Amino acid sequence: MSTLTEVRIAAVGDIHLGEDVRGEYRKRLEGIEERADVLMLAGDLTRHGTLEEGRVVADELRDLPVPVVAVLGNHDYHSDLQHEIAGELRDAGVMVLDDDGVVIECGGTKLGVVGGKGFGGGFAGKCASEFGEREIKDFVAHTRYIAESWKLALKETQADRRVVLSHYSPIKETLEGEPLEIYPFLGSYLLAEAVDTAGADLILHGHAHKGTEKGLTPGGIRVRNVALPVLGKAYAVYCLECGE
Amino acid sequence: MEAPQYVAARIQQAMAEDARTHELGIHVDVRGDQLFLRGQVSGNDQRVRLGEVAHEVAPDLKMHNEIKVVVVNEPGEDEHLD
Repeated sequence: MSTLTEVRIAAVGDIHLGEDVRGEYRKRLEGIEERADVLMLAGDLTRHGTLEEGRVVADELRDLPVPVVAVLGNHDYHSDLQHEIAGELRDAGVMVLDDDGVVIECGGTKLGVVGGKGFGGGFAGKCASEFGEREIKDFVAHTRYIAESWKLALKETQADRRVVLSHYSPIKETLEGEPLEIYPFLGSYLLAEAVDTAGADLILHGHAHKGTEKGLTPGGIRVRNVALPVLGKAYAVYCLECGE
Repeated sequence: MEAPQYVAARIQQAMAEDARTHELGIHVDVRGDQLFLRGQVSGNDQRVRLGEVAHEVAPDLKMHNEIKVVVVNEPGEDEHLD
């Protein structure tokens, strides 16, 4: 069996599908197997997080000729049906990450994917901390728990290349274009710190529709904001070299 | 008369919380008796619903719905990360 020299990752987030656009996104995925080895979805797959919308997403992704890995976003949580939506997606063959990881075989290369929704809190020097009211402490503790889960999952993932898939952003560079005032609701540096500690080759996120595609963590890991309005195309393709 | 900033905030809140829309990223400006909506959504129906929700909150304002529908183009050039 031949070994690929690179793994091609198609990625997009914030597709926000509903019944009125059923079938439209699927058309854009035709021929994806010619362009990519795997498709990664960075959350906000629905608008309101209803089961009906979740089923539309599942139908759009069902039986694609490449493996599909997804995380959910805040919109997918809105109706408190995130577990049911994830179930619909899994029934359609989508690997849904929830602060854990998976390893995919891509032509002889083991591609590890770790991640989940992520959460907010802000960025170093201008962020919330676990202090004061219970509500603030819970907010920050939620992000901290997620970051620790990702760090653990990355350390446990035995793979040739490792990608982190998130909805919220780990850095502020890819938020440029969004109002500064809402940065704490768009991501947290704790996510980047965890990934920099454990190591990865690429971080993909969505959520920031007015943000910027490209950035770097403080540790030098490439970050890409793949929100659909940022990309302006059905998906981006990132090629990671593999082999020696 | 209510300050235009509060009217804009109520419209933005309604668009985020109304079950018909749940849209978070729409920019709202109120200038005199004019209401401007800007942003991007995934379909025309959503654009129309946002206009309806905004109008219900501020029926006396003349609305300009400048929200765009995201155009999903074919995937373009790959990026090689070496």
